[in-house]
Amino acid sequence: MRHPAGHKDSRTSKRSPDRYDRPLSIGTRVPRIDAYAKVTGREKFAADYYGDDLVWAGVKRAGVPHARIEGIDLKRCREAPGVICALTHEHVAGTNRQGVIRKDQPVLADDKVRHCGDAIALVLAEDKESLERALSMVSMDLEPMPGVFDPEEALEENAPLVHEDHPGGNALLKGELQKGIGQAAAAECEVLLEGCFETSYQEHAYLETECGWAQQDEEGKLAIVCSTQTPFRDRMEVAEALGLDPVSVRIIAPYPGGAFGGKDGVTVQTLLGLAALHSGGRPVKMWWGREESFVAGTKRHPASMRYRLGAKWDGALHFLEAKLFFDTGPYDHLGGVVLTLALEHASGPYRIPNVKLEGYAVYTNNPVGGAFRGFGVPQVTGAVEQMMDMLAHRLSIDPVELRMKNALRRGDRSGVGKTLVSSTGLMECLDVVSKHPFWTDRDEWKSAAGPFKRRGVGMSAVMQASGYGPVVPDYANAKVELTQEGKIRVYCGVVDMGQGNASTNLQIAGSILAQTLEEMELVLPDTDRTLPSGSASASRCSYTFGNALIGAAETLKRRILQRAADLLMAQSADQLALVPGRVRCLGTGRELSLERMARLMDETERVAVHHFRAPVALDKLAVADDLRLHGMPHTLFSYGAHVTRVEVDELTGYVEVKDYLAVSDCGTVINPQIYEQQIHGGVAQGLGYVLMEDFRVTEGAVGTPNFATYLIPTAPDIQDIESIAVEIHEHTGPFGLKGVGEIATNGPLPAVSNAVADACGVRFDRFPLTPERVLMGMRTAEHGKESREYQLQTER
Amino acid sequence: MNISFRLNGEKVEIDVRPDRRVVDLLREDFGLTGTKESCGAGDCGACTILVDGESRLSCLMLAAQLQEREIVTIEGLSDEETLHPIQSAFVERGAVQCGFCVPGMILASVDLLKRNPTPTRHDIREGLSGNLCRCTGYHKIVDAVEDAAACLKDDPCR
Amino acid sequence: MPLRDVFLPRTLDDLWDTLEQRPESMVYAGGTDLFVRLRSGSIAPPSLVCLERLNEIKGVRDEGEFLFIGAATTHGFLLAHPLTVEHFPILAKALAVLASPPVRHMGTIGGNIVNASPAGDTLPPLYVLDAEIEISSRREVRRMPLADFIFGPGEVLLGKGEILTGVRVKKLTNENVHHYEKVGLRKGQACAVASLAALLRLSPSGVVEEARLAWGSVGPTVVTLTEVEHALTGEVLSHDTLKGLIPLVRDNVSPIDDVRASAEYRRIVAGQLLLRLQQYRWGGP
Ligand SMILES: Cc1cc2nc3c(=O)[nH]c(=O)nc-3n(C[C@H](O)[C@H](O)[C@H](O)COP(=O)(O)OP(=O)(O)OC[C@H]3O[C@@H](n4cnc5c(N)ncnc54)[C@H](O)[C@@H]3O)c2cc1C
Ligand code: FES
Ligand code: FES
Repeated sequence: MRHPAGHKDSRTSKRSPDRYDRPLSIGTRVPRIDAYAKVTGREKFAADYYGDDLVWAGVKRAGVPHARIEGIDLKRCREAPGVICALTHEHVAGTNRQGVIRKDQPVLADDKVRHCGDAIALVLAEDKESLERALSMVSMDLEPMPGVFDPEEALEENAPLVHEDHPGGNALLKGELQKGIGQAAAAECEVLLEGCFETSYQEHAYLETECGWAQQDEEGKLAIVCSTQTPFRDRMEVAEALGLDPVSVRIIAPYPGGAFGGKDGVTVQTLLGLAALHSGGRPVKMWWGREESFVAGTKRHPASMRYRLGAKWDGALHFLEAKLFFDTGPYDHLGGVVLTLALEHASGPYRIPNVKLEGYAVYTNNPVGGAFRGFGVPQVTGAVEQMMDMLAHRLSIDPVELRMKNALRRGDRSGVGKTLVSSTGLMECLDVVSKHPFWTDRDEWKSAAGPFKRRGVGMSAVMQASGYGPVVPDYANAKVELTQEGKIRVYCGVVDMGQGNASTNLQIAGSILAQTLEEMELVLPDTDRTLPSGSASASRCSYTFGNALIGAAETLKRRILQRAADLLMAQSADQLALVPGRVRCLGTGRELSLERMARLMDETERVAVHHFRAPVALDKLAVADDLRLHGMPHTLFSYGAHVTRVEVDELTGYVEVKDYLAVSDCGTVINPQIYEQQIHGGVAQGLGYVLMEDFRVTEGAVGTPNFATYLIPTAPDIQDIESIAVEIHEHTGPFGLKGVGEIATNGPLPAVSNAVADACGVRFDRFPLTPERVLMGMRTAEHGKESREYQLQTER
Repeated sequence: MNISFRLNGEKVEIDVRPDRRVVDLLREDFGLTGTKESCGAGDCGACTILVDGESRLSCLMLAAQLQEREIVTIEGLSDEETLHPIQSAFVERGAVQCGFCVPGMILASVDLLKRNPTPTRHDIREGLSGNLCRCTGYHKIVDAVEDAAACLKDDPCR
Repeated sequence: MPLRDVFLPRTLDDLWDTLEQRPESMVYAGGTDLFVRLRSGSIAPPSLVCLERLNEIKGVRDEGEFLFIGAATTHGFLLAHPLTVEHFPILAKALAVLASPPVRHMGTIGGNIVNASPAGDTLPPLYVLDAEIEISSRREVRRMPLADFIFGPGEVLLGKGEILTGVRVKKLTNENVHHYEKVGLRKGQACAVASLAALLRLSPSGVVEEARLAWGSVGPTVVTLTEVEHALTGEVLSHDTLKGLIPLVRDNVSPIDDVRASAEYRRIVAGQLLLRLQQYRWGGP
């Protein structure tokens, strides 16, 4: 088949020299392999694929939240200048359904519309302008139906159904769990606090909106280049939805321009595939505009959470109860899995003997909830970490101390009763926080607030599971090749959406094979060239793929040394060592270049493959099969403790985060630079979540469709973020590492909210903490105080 | 409509439709895909280019406005062999993650350092306030620009 | 209707010709408002005339007692200009928080004025400076106070064939407090949810001898309140003085609810922003 226009391997090319001529090693600050091509603008993202004779494809979306489709009239659209064809669900030959767990999302809507972003018709045109005009000519006959927009209302008996065929009605998934004596423990508590919290949607807001490029060749093979986290799963989904043999579908995944979970699952892929089947062999491009991305893309689930937390007078936690409602919108996407992970983390990183959890992922006619960095954990961490602060306040215990008293240690049982058998470094993180000046000097810092400013300091403790849980296999297949040119080529099966795992892979393989970056090459995920290795998600990329890669690199190393030992007539492979570009016999000093070795080795010897499957929890918990299937429980967790210092403006309610510290236990650090990148990025997204990201939806319609109304932090909004790694070796991790991709996102919401509460004496339960919310909250509290004071005076 | 201008140091002439946005012209007609589009409405800075040395948003400009101007895109900032000090600093300091904001961010940094060769970290943040990055939290971007400023100060003719 | 033509006149004469030949055209300068509206579909002009090459209406001219700012002068140029910084720190403060560098390199003061958004950052300073604007057509040049020119959100007194050619501002002599505060929902590139421009003459003992105040984003146009200015004049710039004026501000602004903030919030903040001024009594923030 024809190779997609201009797609080439991302290789090491010219860079500033100094750092690159050292053999790669673990724990060093090696600049990222992808950085050079990205700073010169030469890196080709999916958005950058065009090619000759290009066709533009676009989608007409419903624009109403719930309706029966009475008819779709494409006559005018088809006659519009520049239109190649216009398609509806009738042109979809397969199941026309996609989804990860429950396949409930149509590629093109057939019977009804379930949210404003539903795709109704697919149009192919000669250029962007014709496409836009043609899309405006699609006429839809939609019979409006009553919608459901509130998860709790959606669970009521007579609520309109989003999926009439779903046995659970609008409850996509209900999860229940009890540990110890559950609710009965409430009576045994010496303090019992209640709290309700509501978190909003969060939009991924990656800079590269959903996009891709596709072409079908003469033999019928369909190649799709797209911005995705899940090339191998996409292949199956596209094939099934369109009625194709998966073997005839090839997914090529360049570096996405950001993903964060929003490209975990199909976005443009199936639509593009369908378009390429109707373009007469011409290449097709689809690229959602920002507004389309915001309307049709997935978001972090809005959550409504009710908590009770009980303890003894000495601060020992005794009981926690949580009831969660997650709005998953009209499709499962990963809503059930997200809810399950939220339940698993709902009691925070604490030893609590008695727990009662109940959660619902609910279908509504709102935008689609899906995977987003943290995956349900930011919501519940937001709730439980504020409960902990309220408890500390109530018991007059230092918040860090209260957490230390209850912190999970290795060997403890988690909130859902899972025994922690992997490294558990929360205490170490809390220890660092307790001694940090942000914490120790907080009273002094607070008292130095300027006019009209109130200062507060807050903290939070976080944990994040990694991997897929006990049922879905979490595996990777690494492939390493000694190329004919004598280079070491690593075939990455897991997408690098910016988190840097491609570079980490080279670092791991390079350090085992003692090579410099100059000797290394990289092949990005491609279902025809690399091996299936799961999704880029769940903080698993470097853990699972890294373990597989160690196996493959060790195998290749053994083969090279063995073969060289034979050639150099050394006693055994032990007498040889790999050095950059060559193999050396240590005794004789004789050398063979890797290029020479490559020519002397057979093709089958030059390629080493290794499979790794991540360990799973063996605990038999009293958990429904459904929850197990959705991932409960996990066995590997990262931990952290965050502190922040904030300043609140009394006149406007504006909250300014002055300082931020994230201490994390994510195992051994392979590359401190990439590690810090993950912490910084996660914290920044968390700060956006708590301070300003206010995605508005009214009756299913998006009220903030662009970056002018949906605000994410700009450079002046994020101050320097201090990251400290507590490096505890995880014995199952490659070189001792654990996942660092998500954990940092969980801390900011509760830490900032706790700091704001510390500053103004008001506890906020709805987010984000916009200036308006904060000012109004402060005023209500003031008025309350004034009227109380007034009462006191009159009573006297 | 026929227009001519200098693009990355070379004189170019092209016949374009009047409603062609500069970002489309660069990406589609000249194949310079280093200039990114992320919002099309001026909010993100991914499409930043230099027009007569000043940062501009190519999604809010029509091709006609390029007439007789000197345009630099990320591709024109350095040659194949050597990087511009800001580019090297971005690589060295880990200011690059997904990289989609990076071309715009670097060109905005060029503009900033031209106006203010010795910026504080605060100045750098203000100077980059029109360029969104969703990956980095900006910390390492600020580090990189700080480094580049120091480097350019030692060798200002770069 | 698709856009068919774009013109880039070099001289005002060229411009008048174009506007006569193509009366259906819309003019633009930096395009930072126009192209956003074009994208959203709220306008669809068949042809555009770009003012960016009209040197006659670009730049700053020292006219002795006055400063004349050409309508097509960019915010960036103005912010970096020594005359702005010297004579109109209040305008410089507003320009420094207007959008971001690339938008400031493109957007113009004329565009900000004609766009007439209640959130336009140059407007409150220009109101307190009693700016006069200059409108020209092939036939005549008209001048009027800025406050008379803008009569609603996006609504200005501009006739067919006319463009805004400049703004004339009187140089200040005695005002020693130049204050501009913008309340946004984030720090970088934020749209004003409320703003306050204040120009005061403060005696060494802290008595307000003269006061000019203007609020942005709390009404259909910039809000000026002479009652408040009068009430402030002759008073010591103290917390109590300012606090006493808050109800007057709240009662006289007329904000709306939108996606960024409620009317209620804007009303409260419009009043509270006054309190910040007391810092100038001790030498400023
Ligand atoms: C990302 C972004 C952020 C922004 N942030 C801010 C902000 O913080 N504060 C703020 O105040 N504004 C902001 N704006 C709005 C905008 O940048 C300013 O209003 C700017 O001053 C507009 O000037 P312009 O030359 O680009 O206007 P244009 O878009 O060229 O024109 C705007 C309108 O004015 C008319 N017009 C322009 N010049 C003339 C003239 N000389 N005579 C007659 N009519 C004319 C046009 O026909 C059009 O209707 C922002 C815009 C963007 C895209
Ligand atoms: S694409 Fe131009 S500013 Fe976002
Ligand atoms: S590096 Fe991804 S947006 Fe900046």
